[in-house]
Amino acid sequence: MNYLHSDHEGHHLPVAGAVEAPLYAIGARFESPDAIVKAADTLREKGFTCFESFTPYPVHGLAEAMRLPKSILSLLVLGGGVSAILIALSMELIPSTLIYPLIVDGKPLNLMALPQYVPITVALTLMIGAVTAVAGMILLGGMPRLNNPMFAWDLFEKGASRSFFIAVEANDSKFKTAVVTELLQGVGALDLVAIHEETSESANRE
Amino acid sequence: MSASTAQISDESTLTAQSPVTSHDSGPELSAIARPPQVLNNRGPLWVTDAVCSIVEGKTPLWWIIGISISGTFAGIGGACILYMICTGVGVWGSNSPCFWAWDITNFIFWVSMAHAGSLISALLFLTRQKWSISISRSAEAMTVFAIMCAGVYPAIHIGRVWFVWFLFPVPNNYGMWPNFSSPLLWDVFAVTSYLTVSSLFWFAGMIPDLAVLRDRATTKIRKFAYGIVSLGWLGSARQWRHFEMMYVLLAGITSVLVVTVTTIVSSDCATSVVPGWHATIFPFYFMVGAVYSGSAAVLTLLLPLRLAYPQLKDLITPSHLDKVCKLLLFMGSCVGYVYVFELFTAWYSGNPFERGTFWERFTGGYSWYAITCLSINLTIPQFFWFKKVRQCLPLVFVLAILCNVGMWFERFMIVTTSLIRDFLPSSWGNFHATIVDILTATGTVGIFFTLFLLFIRFVPIVNMSELKATLPGSQPSHNPTVGGGH
Repeated sequence: MNYLHSDHEGHHLPVAGAVEAPLYAIGARFESPDAIVKAADTLREKGFTCFESFTPYPVHGLAEAMRLPKSILSLLVLGGGVSAILIALSMELIPSTLIYPLIVDGKPLNLMALPQYVPITVALTLMIGAVTAVAGMILLGGMPRLNNPMFAWDLFEKGASRSFFIAVEANDSKFKTAVVTELLQGVGALDLVAIHEETSESANRE
Repeated sequence: MSASTAQISDESTLTAQSPVTSHDSGPELSAIARPPQVLNNRGPLWVTDAVCSIVEGKTPLWWIIGISISGTFAGIGGACILYMICTGVGVWGSNSPCFWAWDITNFIFWVSMAHAGSLISALLFLTRQKWSISISRSAEAMTVFAIMCAGVYPAIHIGRVWFVWFLFPVPNNYGMWPNFSSPLLWDVFAVTSYLTVSSLFWFAGMIPDLAVLRDRATTKIRKFAYGIVSLGWLGSARQWRHFEMMYVLLAGITSVLVVTVTTIVSSDCATSVVPGWHATIFPFYFMVGAVYSGSAAVLTLLLPLRLAYPQLKDLITPSHLDKVCKLLLFMGSCVGYVYVFELFTAWYSGNPFERGTFWERFTGGYSWYAITCLSINLTIPQFFWFKKVRQCLPLVFVLAILCNVGMWFERFMIVTTSLIRDFLPSSWGNFHATIVDILTATGTVGIFFTLFLLFIRFVPIVNMSELKATLPGSQPSHNPTVGGGH
């Protein structure tokens, strides 16, 4: 079913999702990595901040065009790794030297014995670092989230693996349907659509 | 859900469809240009279709036959393990003085084989060897499955499996605390961490590709299953930013593991005083042997895969195979060097026990193991000096299998022939493999191939998103207004 989204100025856009639900974003499709980088750059120049670009593979320069900050994941992993070193060393040293100081194979209990605790420390540091990296990527990327208003747009749902998309969210302070539509058309958007939140009733209707 | 927009036509969407427009400015010297990643100027849409069609297509007959055979072997192996647990380790041939035999041989064999996968996907990624992209996913899968096969042994070889929790640092209610200065405990942590990290690296790198399968899914079950495992990936710029950072970090972590895991495994042997084991060259010995056998395993898996799915021939090109062959040659030559050096050290040490062990190794009852191992591993890799050999794929396949066989003999030679001749002639003995030994070993091969066949059918076997990002024309041409674009 097709609806037309109209604002009070009389602009018409095709609608994805349930028209009675609040407007989530205006979506646009682009045909090339060049076009989407240019569009993102233009949007940011005009002061938009709440917009997102979707690409089938990492496009160089896109994050710079959107002025996204550097990922803090490396800091998280550093923190994970350092705490892993501390956990591993205290797990090994406290029981082996303080609580149950057993002498095995005639190996000393003082600092001279430190090298024998290195392999487990290295292994645990790498393991906890990797877990932090993956968990951090998933959580910072807003995952796991199996429903997303973007999926209401069937062109996106079917074509996210081969086309380039931008969604300008309605909660941006500068958001005005007419302004955004004109802007996106000006930078060569191919398909424009008003994406509404998909309510549970509308999803069941399908 | 509704929309009035037109469907995306396959012809008009991606500019990257138009090939050969290199985005590098300036003239390109054809003489030093790198061979193309993907042959026949295939575009991103073709790559997606080619890779997804393997998962989405009908189940081929060879796959059903293959998994029946490998599943049978895995089942028999499982039954043998159950029998061993119910009866005791006596059903194996391991006995005094040779308490470690096929169990540890196979453990080292599998865990070593895993290393080439990590090297190809992580170390070559960090060093920006872009050619490794199209084989990295299957190499990583090989890594994960080989570690799983290796993991079968350490737990069951302790004899009383129900006491395996002694190995882990659990709260101390039972007065039980693991000896942290023992290399056997280092092993537990090294292998656990290796399995965790390589599984995470493999899975996390796959999320964008699983999302592609979700988007293309035609049935409800498929959409649901791939929807769950892809965690709601959208491919947004923010997600890619964290994803790329994660990939670099994981590649760095995995690269360290390439060196540390075999080093720790080798210290099982090297920190003891047994002649034939007590050698400082062991970490290097195990590491080069690991990458050598792993490269051979990669070739053994990739060549039939290309045959089964002809579309992969444009993705896994002769140039890729050529490079893996060269890796095999280099690592094989290092292995040969270590063999010679180990013999030299045994002689030069002047230690009669060390000399005796090596003399026994080549003249005693197990000499045919050592001779097979040396004759394969010293000669077979050297064939890869010749371009004609590297280009003749059936020959490469046969030679790669021989390398794997040679490496199994090497692991057996190291583990067993050092143990059967100790310091005191009164504690000399022999080892004879039993049928349970043999069927458990073939069982792990069955487990490996079963898992690999499942991998082929259910997940994308080539890293599509990373590959697409490197195709000509897939990145924006230089745009001075945007700054960071490159």
